[in-house]
Amino acid sequence: MHDGPLIVQSDKTLLLEVDHERAGECRRAIAPFAELERSPEHIHTYRLTPLGLWNARAAGHDAEQVVDTLLEFSRYAVPHALLVDVAETMARYGRLRLEKHPTHGLVLVSSDRPVLEEVLRAKKIAGMIGDRIDDDTVVVHGSERGNLKQALLKIGWPAEDYAGYVDGEAHPIALDQAEWHLRDYQRDAAESFWHGGSGVVVLPCGAGKTLVGAAAMAHAQATTLILVTNTVSARQWKDELVRRTSLTADEIGEYSGSVKEVRPVTIATYQVMTTKRQGVYRHLELLDARDWGLIIYDEVHLLPAPIFRMTADLQARRRIGLTATLVREDGREGDVFSLIGPKRYDAPWKDIESQGWIAPADCVEVRVTLPTDERLVYATAEPEERYRLASCTHQKIDVVKDLVARHPGQPTLVIGQYLDQLDELGLALDAPVIKGDTTVKERQRLFDAFRSGEVGLLVVSKVANFSIDLPSAEVAIQVSGSFGSRQEEAQRLGRILRPKSEGKTAHFYTVVSRDTVDAEFAQHRQRFLAEQGYAYRIVDSDGLDELLA
Amino acid sequence: MATQGFRSLADQLRSWPDARLSRLLSERPDLATPAPHDSAQLASRAATRSSILRALDQLTRAELAVLDALVLLPHESASGAARGERFRGDPENYPTGRSSVDRLRELVNADAAAVDAAVERLLDLALAWESTGGLRALTGVADGLTGGPEQGVSGLRPFTDPPPPAAAVAGSLAALSEPARALLEHVVDAGGEATTGSARVTVLPEDAATPAEELLSRRLLVPRAGSPAVVPGEVGVAVRGGHTTAEPVDDVPSLATSTRDAAQVDRTAAGAAFEAVRRLELLLDRWGASPPSALRSGGLGVRDLRATATALHLDEPTVALLVETAAGAGLVTTVADGTGNPVWLPTDLFDAWVQRPTAERWTSLVRVWLDSPRMPGLVGSRDPAGKTWNALAPELAAVHMPETRRMTLGALEQLPAGEVLAAGTGVPSVVALLSWQRPRRPRLRAEQVLWSLTEAAMLGVTGLDGLASYARLLLTDDDAAAGKTLAALLPQPVEHVLLQADLTAVAPGPLESALARKLQLLAEVESRGGGAVYRFTPGSVRRALDIGWTATELHEFLASVSRTPVPQPLEYLVDDTARTFGTIRVGHAEAYLRADDETALTELLHHPQATALGLRRLAPTVLTSTTPLDVLLPRLRDLGAAPVVEAADGTVHVARPDLRRARTPREHRPGHGPLGVDAARSARRTAAVASVVTAIRAGDRAAATRPAGPEPASTPSGSLAALRDAAEVGAVVVISYVDNHGTRTERVVEPVSVEGGVLTAHDHRTDDTRTFAVHRITTVRPVDDPSPAP
Repeated sequence: MHDGPLIVQSDKTLLLEVDHERAGECRRAIAPFAELERSPEHIHTYRLTPLGLWNARAAGHDAEQVVDTLLEFSRYAVPHALLVDVAETMARYGRLRLEKHPTHGLVLVSSDRPVLEEVLRAKKIAGMIGDRIDDDTVVVHGSERGNLKQALLKIGWPAEDYAGYVDGEAHPIALDQAEWHLRDYQRDAAESFWHGGSGVVVLPCGAGKTLVGAAAMAHAQATTLILVTNTVSARQWKDELVRRTSLTADEIGEYSGSVKEVRPVTIATYQVMTTKRQGVYRHLELLDARDWGLIIYDEVHLLPAPIFRMTADLQARRRIGLTATLVREDGREGDVFSLIGPKRYDAPWKDIESQGWIAPADCVEVRVTLPTDERLVYATAEPEERYRLASCTHQKIDVVKDLVARHPGQPTLVIGQYLDQLDELGLALDAPVIKGDTTVKERQRLFDAFRSGEVGLLVVSKVANFSIDLPSAEVAIQVSGSFGSRQEEAQRLGRILRPKSEGKTAHFYTVVSRDTVDAEFAQHRQRFLAEQGYAYRIVDSDGLDELLA
Repeated sequence: MATQGFRSLADQLRSWPDARLSRLLSERPDLATPAPHDSAQLASRAATRSSILRALDQLTRAELAVLDALVLLPHESASGAARGERFRGDPENYPTGRSSVDRLRELVNADAAAVDAAVERLLDLALAWESTGGLRALTGVADGLTGGPEQGVSGLRPFTDPPPPAAAVAGSLAALSEPARALLEHVVDAGGEATTGSARVTVLPEDAATPAEELLSRRLLVPRAGSPAVVPGEVGVAVRGGHTTAEPVDDVPSLATSTRDAAQVDRTAAGAAFEAVRRLELLLDRWGASPPSALRSGGLGVRDLRATATALHLDEPTVALLVETAAGAGLVTTVADGTGNPVWLPTDLFDAWVQRPTAERWTSLVRVWLDSPRMPGLVGSRDPAGKTWNALAPELAAVHMPETRRMTLGALEQLPAGEVLAAGTGVPSVVALLSWQRPRRPRLRAEQVLWSLTEAAMLGVTGLDGLASYARLLLTDDDAAAGKTLAALLPQPVEHVLLQADLTAVAPGPLESALARKLQLLAEVESRGGGAVYRFTPGSVRRALDIGWTATELHEFLASVSRTPVPQPLEYLVDDTARTFGTIRVGHAEAYLRADDETALTELLHHPQATALGLRRLAPTVLTSTTPLDVLLPRLRDLGAAPVVEAADGTVHVARPDLRRARTPREHRPGHGPLGVDAARSARRTAAVASVVTAIRAGDRAAATRPAGPEPASTPSGSLAALRDAAEVGAVVVISYVDNHGTRTERVVEPVSVEGGVLTAHDHRTDDTRTFAVHRITTVRPVDDPSPAP
């Protein structure tokens, strides 16, 4: 009998036994077409999805290769129906191509006339296409390139985009690698993006996604628009680019609520882009302000819907998306695929951890028991009030104090959702609190103090969820969150994953109230971490001594 | 010809050895039931229209073409032979007429060997016989041959009797003008009949003004009074280049194939076989615990089918196939449940089946499937009346299904190992082959072939569209060897799982059955296939506690099956669920809720969805409910409580839901059905045929002791047999007939056919073809019989 590391299930999941001697080889072989769904300690689960298979087609793999790989590594017989399905799904990609026509501009070309007929009859497509040139070719309105790709994907006939990219306004950018070097995976990520033209790079928090962006800019050698989540993050991008590339501060502009500069490299926030005045997006012209050669989307999993719509108009420009997780709580992964591009690079967190680029983390869930009076209040509360009541219990404050005391001298972040609770914690712990209404200047000051070690403890709200580089943080304590948001959990863990000196382990605590919705949401969020290979432990608040002994 | 021919088909049958007679009776089973008295009755039964149609259905296109040619040829009638002494000395006068095998070899567009084989088969099936005047087809055959070239029918008209010399026909054809030739070809292809319209019928070739007149003048188109003109068979044959069909008829379509590693085919098929058996086990386990109701019409409701499919992570066609096969094997049947409504339940045979090794279970299932007339492929589609087909509905069957299935697999069996059906073109080529082998069964064939192939793949009879090595053995009825070969290919069951921190347990292979059942109880199944993924949830752990597991037992079980340390979150989950488990106790008779934990009750009482339960607080620790317990309990669980039922004496009452079983239907008890010894059934069939042969022989012997010579047939069955005999040989008989007024008359008639109690015959007195009711015919005797009618 065959002894491969892979078990192919009939529901299109692939189970990879990690401890198998050929596991590494197998992982590399299936990575191009299978989506890594979870990677706990023993068995990694991959899934075959149409998107994943089309990704593979876009990267030049064919169905024969996929089938051969499955047959080669599979321990048991591969269900025939699954193989047929793989072949059929992959055959759907590329029947339609978007091309440049010398006289008609953008055209949709088909190698399979019935498919074209079917597509042209679809209601959603009708408005986006123009005249029929011949049996196999139709004109596409240039502005509909993105929308058409999106709509075609939805009806199951994804188009291959051969229409190419504009070069944009040239601008010399080089990486300044005198004091540092691009890591291997960063170089690989930037290169596979560049060869693919457009797409998404998935790397864990703290793995240096900014540098992948910088490397992509160095490839493009053109003016660049960078879209980020907020102002603080914009400043960080700017600092990092000045430090790591040949760009000077004068060449980099910030386009945010307070400053509106347009320079060869411009960093804009999602918020300013989506601000509406009298029903009109006022800052859209920024997209046309220059002949951008490259657009970088930071934290692409957060990309708001209006930006998607705008991106649809930018299909002629190279686009790179950066993210730690492609999980979107709104399930719009398909839009990311069709509008930004297919996934070009992906590395499991644990791989990067084992290479020492991110710190290992110890995740612990601490359960507190609600006192009887609070339980009574909780039990009779309206459902929408319950989470707030459960997660804001006073019991948590004592536990947080206890936890902070157990990590003396280690820079600690306390993260929460509810402002009252944060203020209370700030008072109890005698620590500064950063919330949405804290000024940018004050935030910068506090973050700088934290980085330098002046301040050892910060209480932060969700403003610090993303893109805040706090390399020194070693301990994070989360007291409440946005219900069951998995990507928030990942982001928060990411805060403490920057590599530590002497390879120290980071600590991630979640304090939850037992027997309440708080615990249920926590379980949902933790499942994501467990699936990323972060095993966690659960202890009762009175069992902390035992645990940390 | 070895013999001089026979006087009648009955005579020929009488001359056959027993083996050949047995072959006839097994190939045309309708002749054997009830057992005929003697060969005469057998022969007359073989000549009935319905029996002939059934026999024709079993012929290949080549055999049908030979039969078609045989029907076209004129033959000497028995009386003609008697009269026709003058032909004997001068064969030139009758050069092309004799329907000898030689003549067929010339006429049919096929190899001589193929024609010989076809003739042999036609004789075997008693569709043709060797008369003194040569080979001839049964009279009913001509009417049965319908359809076009696809059905092996040439569409030509019978030959003229006697036919003109071939040279003369060729000469007439050569002399035709081009339009006349085109017209003739058109008429021949359109069925050989044409109306003459205004064309003059009697005209000399020189005077012919139109193409039609040209044809008429050269006797290539023969006018008939009162009906359209016809093109005689010999002309049609000449137009088609000397054959009855322009295309060769022995051109067997070949299968479109590609190559695959034979080991790969076996592995894939074995994987599917394993899955099929396990899925059926899971399915019936589920039905045993919560049986779906049976429709009044006997089927399985669409919703129940869908629910089963969802619960097992399968698609509906697979479930339909599984339940149909299970029902065929007697593993599931309908019984009335407690309220008298019929439900589908696994039988006790299922319990025995589960205990057997996988390979044996598989062979028993596939054996049933091979001979099943059921068509699960139709489930979900609509019948002509627009009604959806339900799985297990009694009407969901077709008699030809097993034959199509066998033939489809037979086609695959012909391929050498390592060769499989080509993707895309493979299935149409199988359909083409079957169309050649059984041209007269076009209805649903393409679908039936497709179903057969899909079902074979689902059941693991084929893999990657090639027949598995063990399935070959099964088709040759070697079940034991098939089971052995399959067993070697099946994955070895594993006895451990890998527990992970994300609260999943992964079985890195097929789990040992008992272990799988336990895990299924403790955890939800997330993914099935070669391995399995189980997820532990508070609900699943509670379910285990509900049926009496304790936390300690759970820990021990997990530690014993896991190859890796039990992750801390899982241990915590078990403890945490056990901690809250049983906090609330529910009374049996009064429906009370009692808990030491006041807040838990308050929580329940204030739960927005609890109002319908009619909860009322009696004491700080006791609630009552107006809802009956069986409704209340699940509702409470829905609301997130973990109640246990308390018995009257205050002890906790835990019970495992009983699995229910129905009795095995009689036909499936050991020795009765496909699950019994299959050889027994075929042996019984053989024995039955043998006893029929013996009976016929005895009848013949009895007939032989009667006075020699054709006795006047004066019994109804006797006159019927005599009339059929006469119709076969074309003899002239005298019948005495009682007409409407009660007057008895004697008629000299030449019987043409006897069908449905009516004799169609050519009446010599009126020189017309007319019909006679058989029951009014009192006697039948040959025309040369000197004895007068009584």
